[in-house]
Amino acid sequence: MADTTKKTPRWVFVMEPKRCIDCEACMVACSVENNVPIGHHRNWIAHQTKGSYPDVSLFFAPENCHHCTNPPCERVCPTGATYRREDGLVLIDYDRCIGCRYCIQACPYDARYFDEERGVVDKCTFCVHRLDAGQPPACVETCVGGARHFGDLNDPESEVSKLLATHQHYTLYPEAGTGPAIFYLVD
Amino acid sequence: MPTTYDPFLQGYSGSPTTIEWGLLVVIYLYTAGISAGIFAMSGLATYLGGGRYRRIARLGALLAPWPLMLGLAMLVFDLGRPLHFWLLFTTIQFTSPMSIGSWLLTLFVIVSLLYLVLWLPRPLRNLIRVPQRVGDLLAPARWQPIPSRTVRIGRGVLAAVGFPISLGVGMYTGVLLGAIPARPFWNTPMVAQLFLFSAMSTGVAFLLLVATLVGDLLDPAALEHERHLLVSVDAVLIVLEIFIIIPFFLHQTLNTWSSAASLKLILGGPFTAPFWIGVIGLGLLLPLAVEGYELFPIILKEGAIKYRRQLSLASSLLVLIGGFLLRYVFVYAGQLSHFLPVFAR
Repeated sequence: MADTTKKTPRWVFVMEPKRCIDCEACMVACSVENNVPIGHHRNWIAHQTKGSYPDVSLFFAPENCHHCTNPPCERVCPTGATYRREDGLVLIDYDRCIGCRYCIQACPYDARYFDEERGVVDKCTFCVHRLDAGQPPACVETCVGGARHFGDLNDPESEVSKLLATHQHYTLYPEAGTGPAIFYLVD
Repeated sequence: MPTTYDPFLQGYSGSPTTIEWGLLVVIYLYTAGISAGIFAMSGLATYLGGGRYRRIARLGALLAPWPLMLGLAMLVFDLGRPLHFWLLFTTIQFTSPMSIGSWLLTLFVIVSLLYLVLWLPRPLRNLIRVPQRVGDLLAPARWQPIPSRTVRIGRGVLAAVGFPISLGVGMYTGVLLGAIPARPFWNTPMVAQLFLFSAMSTGVAFLLLVATLVGDLLDPAALEHERHLLVSVDAVLIVLEIFIIIPFFLHQTLNTWSSAASLKLILGGPFTAPFWIGVIGLGLLLPLAVEGYELFPIILKEGAIKYRRQLSLASSLLVLIGGFLLRYVFVYAGQLSHFLPVFAR
């Protein structure tokens, strides 16, 4: 883990699609760790076929909430329940959420879901409870292929900083102007 | 239950797109629009024609708050935690159309209820007693009916104040959807205009419907020039709607790939029939044709329109059905549209 005493961390994911084998262990680990209701997921694997027969390939990209720098979900929340912490985590104050589901409409990544039982919207928190205890998110810890890298972008010595400094990478839907905190390495 | 649908993302599966806002939200946007339209028409009638349209003003004032209040009940019921709806009113979030809209709707309900009281028939109005002087505030025994001077001035003031508020409510129902970049189908300012014009049109149609039914009870000829005004205004509004839908198509087609692809939802996708047959055919072109037929003698300056009960009933009902389908198509189709992934390009 990065040294958090120096300055405010900026937590990011760096995903390596070529290492993802679509085993979905991250989805199971997340559901167990966060007690995610059956029928919903806080993280998922996007499948994409590239090209067409005979020159065709399949491609797996792990994804979860992008914890945007400029989160559309926070912008549209009518009660201020969704907020952005100083270290960039976009979190939900469940006592203020009324379950209007406007944020679900506003998220370009479809990262949010409606928890019917509690009547509130929920999503990936980057495992904030583990993070605050100095542990990485459950999905990172369990990933068998090492496709999910997690760390502090404000620390130049962190694994994620080094990966991004040495690899070509992209983010999803840059045209939405969200400033996402998930980076994908180009093979 | 949310359903998933992937109309144009062949070869891609990410997080599923779900329908989160269902019929309750459709009804709420629809009834809010009707209320806004009724109030705007009533406010206009207060000022138009030097008292000639008093009956429309009164009818509108008596009807305006109710559809919206029904819709608000639907909206609260649709929340995940209905009993916590009051949290909306503990803050104003200036970047959230829903937060601004909640306050706007509250303002509208207050203004339209006060306006309703001032337009109550005199015997009913005189049952309501208000303090005449500050000193009487704590002595209800000395309260008197509202003085006629206050009623006269109050109607004018509330009509003037409420008119822009009602336009705001009509527009808000579209801004709520249009202000979301993540849903390309909605993300154009024209949705706000379309919903505003549709709100005005459905409100006027609602008035026309009630005026026609009430006219049956009274002398059928009595409401003739009122109906003439309503039919004329509604015809203009329908034309305005058509001239918003045309640029909507042009802009979406010529916009980003995601926006252009989102049009497939109504061009061959699941909402093609409701949109073209329901919204365009039954909701706009057919009532416009009926209203044009009714107004034709006037346009040609060949005398006044004849009272045709069936035609008024038909055009107003068609506009009301079309307005509902417009909300339905936009609320549902918009939720299924989304940005297309980079790599699929």
